Amino acid sequence: MENRAGRHAALTKRLVDSVLATPGHTASELRKAILARAARLGGRHGSGGGEARDGVPAPLASYVDKVAVHAYKVTDEDLTALQQAGNSDDVLFEVTVSAALGAALGRLERGLSALRGEASPLDPLSRVRPHPLTPSPSGRGGTQE
Amino acid sequence: MRLHAVEHGHRLPQRLKLLLIRLVSMRRVPDVVKTLFYRPEFFGGPMCDWTQAVMRGPSPWSVGERELFAAFTSRLNQCLF
Repeated sequence: MENRAGRHAALTKRLVDSVLATPGHTASELRKAILARAARLGGRHGSGGGEARDGVPAPLASYVDKVAVHAYKVTDEDLTALQQAGNSDDVLFEVTVSAALGAALGRLERGLSALRGEASPLDPLSRVRPHPLTPSPSGRGGTQE
Repeated sequence: MRLHAVEHGHRLPQRLKLLLIRLVSMRRVPDVVKTLFYRPEFFGGPMCDWTQAVMRGPSPWSVGERELFAAFTSRLNQCLF
């Protein structure tokens, strides 16, 4: 039953659809752009394209990148600055969830492609040293489907 | 919690559940729960369904192993588990 999106593809799709399409305080297009940007940072395969013109406005883009790559570095000041720029709590909630979900999807897709034995792109988070989750040839990690 | 709305802005049904959790556990409700209960139709509802299936549903991995993966991943993300 394994496919590209994994065993829980239907539930994953429902989650993504809900975050992208539920009426809210941000445009669905913005949430899609944020999710795609964060997924790229999370290691999504073949999504290419530059970051400069991906539809995420500059002040939000650096916040989205922070959430996607190292969320623990987000500070009170980051949120205060975005709030003072006119973003409501609901806007920031939607932006944060879209970014976090995008980053998670990028990692999920990268992990599933590794289980299938496909070459995966370099992990943007581990340019310095091997990622701790890099599979070893003898290690246990796959599942018997 | 940095977003006031997510800390205090829950609708009545979720607010009652949070109150119940606080009364039963006699401690502060974790931020992750407040986040999942905030506008659950947008994120928390489908996220909980996903988590339930992945962490407790049928799997070649035991529940304990899956929790260990989650704890390890959280550690790598420098995120409290």
